[in-house]
Amino acid sequence: MAKKTYDLLFKLLLIGDSGVGKTCVLFRFSDDAFNTTFISTIGIDFKIKTVELQGKKIKLQIWDTAGQERFHTITTSYYRGAMGIMLVYDITNGKSFENISKWLRNIDEHANEDVERMLLGNKCDMEEKRVVLKAKGEQIAREHGIRFFETSAKANINIEKAFLTLAEDILRKTPVKEPNSENVDISSGGGVTGWKNKCC
Amino acid sequence: MVAWRGDILIPSSYLHPVFYQDITKCILKEDNIIAILQMGKLRHRWGSDCPRSSSRIAEFQDVLAEPKIVLQKLCELCFSGIPFDGGLRCLCWKILLNYLPVEKALWSTLLKKQRELYSQFLKEMIIQPGIAKANLGVSREDVTLEDHPLNPNPDSRWNTYFKDNEVLLQIDKDVRRLYPDMAFFQRPTDYPCLLILDPQNEFETLRKRVEQTTLKSQTVARNRSGVTNVSSPLKTSAPNSLSEYEVLPNGCEAHWEVVERILFIYAKLNPGIAYVQGMNEIVGPLYYTFATDPNNDWKEHAEADTFFCFTNLMAEIRDNFIKSLDDSQCGITYKMEKVYSTLKEKDVELYLKLQEQNIKPQFFAFRWLTLLLSQEFLLPDVIRIWDSLFADDNRFDFLLLVCCAMLILIRDQLLEGDFTLNMRLLQDYPISDVRLILKKAKELQDSK
Repeated sequence: MAKKTYDLLFKLLLIGDSGVGKTCVLFRFSDDAFNTTFISTIGIDFKIKTVELQGKKIKLQIWDTAGQERFHTITTSYYRGAMGIMLVYDITNGKSFENISKWLRNIDEHANEDVERMLLGNKCDMEEKRVVLKAKGEQIAREHGIRFFETSAKANINIEKAFLTLAEDILRKTPVKEPNSENVDISSGGGVTGWKNKCC
Repeated sequence: MVAWRGDILIPSSYLHPVFYQDITKCILKEDNIIAILQMGKLRHRWGSDCPRSSSRIAEFQDVLAEPKIVLQKLCELCFSGIPFDGGLRCLCWKILLNYLPVEKALWSTLLKKQRELYSQFLKEMIIQPGIAKANLGVSREDVTLEDHPLNPNPDSRWNTYFKDNEVLLQIDKDVRRLYPDMAFFQRPTDYPCLLILDPQNEFETLRKRVEQTTLKSQTVARNRSGVTNVSSPLKTSAPNSLSEYEVLPNGCEAHWEVVERILFIYAKLNPGIAYVQGMNEIVGPLYYTFATDPNNDWKEHAEADTFFCFTNLMAEIRDNFIKSLDDSQCGITYKMEKVYSTLKEKDVELYLKLQEQNIKPQFFAFRWLTLLLSQEFLLPDVIRIWDSLFADDNRFDFLLLVCCAMLILIRDQLLEGDFTLNMRLLQDYPISDVRLILKKAKELQDSK
C-alpha cells in the first residue's frame, strides 16, 4: 500500500440541480481556476485536495455528481459514504433554489444520519441577475440547522472558506485520538473512515 | 501538402485518415482544430503504420459500388477505420446505422421521404406551437376558458408548452457546452433551416423561446422573493447561460442550434425518455460527421439525416438512459457489472486489485458506456472508435471489450497505484492512441 501522506481522509459530495456550478465550485477549490465551458457531468466525477487544519493534514476526496434527475440512482449510492455534503443552488435560478428541499430530503433518505451538510448559493458575482435573496438562503439554512455561504466560483468568493469550514465541522466530530493505520484506509471507497467509531 | 499550426509541421502522408480529415479543416479554418493539435496527443500519429492509402479507399469504393451492398464485407472494412475521403465515412455510418438500406436503388426515394418527414416534425413540433404561441400573445380571444396558462388540466396545450420548455432549457444548457474546446459547434452552419429562419415568420422559434422562458421565470422568481424593481427585467436582457456564448444574428444559426433542434424533436417524439444529459454527447459526433461531409448534396441534409441516425442509434442504447431500467437485465448497472465480469475472465489480477481498492465500475464505466466513450477522447478519435463500434455485429458487446482493453492497457499503473491515483487514471484516461486500444479489444474478442 502506498505511503500515507495525510492524517485523515474526509469524503465530501457535491449535489444540486444541473447547471448551478458544482463542477466550477470544485474546480476553483482544487485547481484555483475558473472555466465557463465545462461540459455537463455525467454520472460522477472526483477530485482530491489535501488541506491542513489544526496541525493535521486532511485529504479531501470530493465527489462531483450529475444534477439531472436521471442520474439519481447512480449518485445517491455515494451519499452513504459521504461525511460532508455540499448542496449547491444558483442565486440566478429560482428553480434550483425551490429544489433545495427535494435535495435535503434526498440527503435524509440516503446519507448517514450525522453527515455534515452545507448550503451554497453560487454565482453570487452576478448580482444583477439575482433572483434568490441572500436572506432566503439564510432562512432555509437556519430552518434545517445547516451552514450557509454565498459563493462565486468565478470571482473566487467564499469557495475555500466553505470547504475548509465543512472540513472543520467534520474534524470536530472526529475522535481526538491520533488515527492509526486501521481507521485511515487509503483505499476506502465504501465505509466511512476516521470518525466511524465516534462516541455518543 | 503540409499542414501547420504554430510550429508543428505535419506532412500529410504520415497522417491517419481520421486525423487527415481535421488537418484539411485546419488549413481551411484554423481554429476549428485547436483541440486536436495538442502536441502530446500528436506524437503517436507519426508512425508509419497508418498512411493514407488509396488502395484502401478503392476497397471501400468497390464494396459501395455494388447495387446491393454486401453488409458483411462493408462491416469488415469499416471495423478497421473508415476513410474520410469522398464522404466515405458519412455514407458508411448511414448504412451501418440502418438508415440507408443495402439496396442502393431505394436510397433516393427513402431519403426524400425521410427528409420530408423531418420537415413535417419541425412544422408540427416547433413551427405550429410557435405560431399558436405568437397568436396567443396578441389575440385575446384565443385565451379561452378551456385553454389558458393556469389551466390545471394535464392535456392543456399550455401545460404541454410549459413541460416542453423545461426539456428545452435543459437541452439548451447542454448543447451550448458541447465540445467547448472546438470552435465547430459555435460556428454558423452553411445550411440553416430555412423553414425556421424565414424572415417572414412571426412565430416563436426555439431561440426566442429559450430567451423568453428564461426571462419570464426570472421575473416571476423576483416577485416571489418579495423584491421588485431591484433591477428592471429589461436590464437583464441576457440570462447567464446565454451571455456566455454569443448568439448569432438573425438569419444565421450555429451548429449547436441545429443539434438543439434535433434533440428537441427527439424528446417530443420519445416522451418516455425525453431528454437525458449525455444524449448531446451521442448526437454531437454524428452531427459533426455529417455536417462536415465533403459532398454538399449530403451535407445540406445533415440535420435530418443525423436525426434519423441518432434515433436508430438510440433505439439500441436508450436503455442506458432510462433510470427505471437501471437495475434490470438491459440497464446500465448490468452492463457496468459485465465490464468487471469480463475483466475477471481476461485479467483476474487486475480485477482483484480494483475490487480490493473498492473502485466500482460506476466510478468510471458509467460514463464510458453511456456516452460510447465520447468524453474520454478527442473527437477524431471518438469517431474512429465509433467506426469499429458501428461495424461490429454485436456493436455494444464490443464496447465492453474496448472498456476492458482500456483497463488492461494501463494495468501496470493500476496495479501500482492507490485509490486516488487509480481514480485519476480512470477518470482522465492517459492513453490517446485509440488504435492501440481497438487492437487490444479485438485481441480480447478473438481470444474468446
